[in-house]
Amino acid sequence: MFFLKAMIVQPMPTITDLVDNGAIVKIDVELAPHDQPLRLLYGTPQFIAWLQEILDGARPARLLGHTSPAEQIDDLFHSFLSGEHLVFTRQFRVVRAEDNAVWELKTPDIRIFGWFMAKDCFVAVFGNWTDTIKDHDLYRGYRIAIRRLRRELDLDATLCVRGVAPDDVLSV
Amino acid sequence: MTFFRFDIGARSRTAGRLMGRVRRELLRAVTEEKQAGLTQQELARRLQSGRSNVNRQLSGEAEITLRSLADLAWALDREITFELRRPDQTTGQNIAPQTSTIGHKPIRIIAPKSSDE
Repeated sequence: MFFLKAMIVQPMPTITDLVDNGAIVKIDVELAPHDQPLRLLYGTPQFIAWLQEILDGARPARLLGHTSPAEQIDDLFHSFLSGEHLVFTRQFRVVRAEDNAVWELKTPDIRIFGWFMAKDCFVAVFGNWTDTIKDHDLYRGYRIAIRRLRRELDLDATLCVRGVAPDDVLSV
Repeated sequence: MTFFRFDIGARSRTAGRLMGRVRRELLRAVTEEKQAGLTQQELARRLQSGRSNVNRQLSGEAEITLRSLADLAWALDREITFELRRPDQTTGQNIAPQTSTIGHKPIRIIAPKSSDE
């Protein structure tokens, strides 16, 4: 009996499974009349709660950007979802490769960490203020936590792009 | 919850996306010029400005005035095009309030009811 149970292969979860069981939530912004949704964006429930705090007016102790945090995030999400070219240079990286296939989306005041389940399909896991992340050096902790979450969801071998070049994760 | 719409309102959306778009256009021009050999130091020299000031403008940490936008365009040898127009109403475009990227599930085909039902 034990042998038979061990022989049963559990199917790998799909994106639909993850949405249906509440592990991730689809994130949407309003698109302009001629925009097309060319990429996909998801977030964990914890990340969605953080987004709600931003919508409720949360601000960092020292605002670095010249637009509000909510405006920065809306612009970032809109650029991502509508398939705009994201700037990937040494100083102004919108998406940055980290160890263990963890990526970072950036605005002046915000850092968002997550991973690509597939090309053009990002899952946001953590969001925080730029200053807080730098002051407390949270990069390593976020990387480890995201890797652990992927393992818990059994996605490491399937829904995870491991490449670290922009072309590995974005088609435009 | 299967989806979350990040909605900041039309006014904030217009402001944030316009400023973001201006910066991305500038960054794209800077990246192109960098590949052609222009350093940020040289860009700052042309503008008679500090390199850190130019950096902060490009990164979104400092406001870009119309004057500084024009100066950057000049220093990067780019023309500026600007237009205000009423939204188009054409067949096949998104209807903004109804536009959604939600669609993770496969399309369900519902069979039409038969006449005796």
